[in-house]
Amino acid sequence: MVKVVKSTIIEAPVEDVWAILRDFNGHEEWHPAVVQSAIERSNPSDMVGCVRRFKLADGSELRERLLTLSDIDMAFSYCLEDTPIPLLNYVAHVRLTPVTDGDWTFWSWESRFDTPKGREAELKTLVSEGVYQGGFDAIRETMGLARETAQ
Amino acid sequence: MARVYISSVIDVPAVKVWERVRDFNGLPRWHPSIRDSRIENGEPADKVGCIRDFHLQNGDRIREQLLGLSDYDMFCTYSILESPMPLTDYVATLRLTPITDGNRCFAEWSAEFECDEGEVEGLVNGIGNGVFQAGFSALKRQLAV
Repeated sequence: MVKVVKSTIIEAPVEDVWAILRDFNGHEEWHPAVVQSAIERSNPSDMVGCVRRFKLADGSELRERLLTLSDIDMAFSYCLEDTPIPLLNYVAHVRLTPVTDGDWTFWSWESRFDTPKGREAELKTLVSEGVYQGGFDAIRETMGLARETAQ
Repeated sequence: MARVYISSVIDVPAVKVWERVRDFNGLPRWHPSIRDSRIENGEPADKVGCIRDFHLQNGDRIREQLLGLSDYDMFCTYSILESPMPLTDYVATLRLTPITDGNRCFAEWSAEFECDEGEVEGLVNGIGNGVFQAGFSALKRQLAV
């Protein structure tokens, strides 16, 4: 079992970040890895249990199911149902928390999954850097925020 | 039930902040509002259940009991046993979480307590700004690189 935990600070109020992230089909608008996405059966994207079917730039297609959505906790979780990338039993959790000192957002994105033997490091990097860190940077860009100077 | 929640970003790794705040008897070393502190009965400060007896700079005396401490999750939970504040059933948690992007620290300090309706605003402001935010501001100054 591989565990990935990534987090960042978005220098914007938590309500503004949540307004973008709570749309389970919105990643085609902001995530650079996603070129096209649709919710199956025309379900609303905030219907728990809905499935998003999306394509990556290389044409591969994935399906993910919304498991949890909470406006009070500003959190959602989802799992991968079909994927050409061997991420097995993949469940991810996204949570936003207000930073009261500055009116910013703490954004945590984590997951657990299994992989074929020997591919743990490669797939962990793909998820943590390609998907999660890439998503953090893309939201910052979408919201017109400067990239923070990491130490 | 009244609730206070304060959170902040401290620009050093969370483990560095934890080194400073995990000592339940260490408030006078980093919190500007605390004058002195001792642990009752000579117990270790990381023994869950121990009691700290301390004074604020204004002379007020407070006794608090350690309810939970985790070096793994980096949190500390405690209750107030005795204080001059008009409240009861006070339980607070100080929690640190690593921010992987930039290797910094997300610090949260929250409390819940019971009090008369008319006292809520004053207590929430006094605890939130006077104690929790003042503590984080001091840590940011002390640990700044």
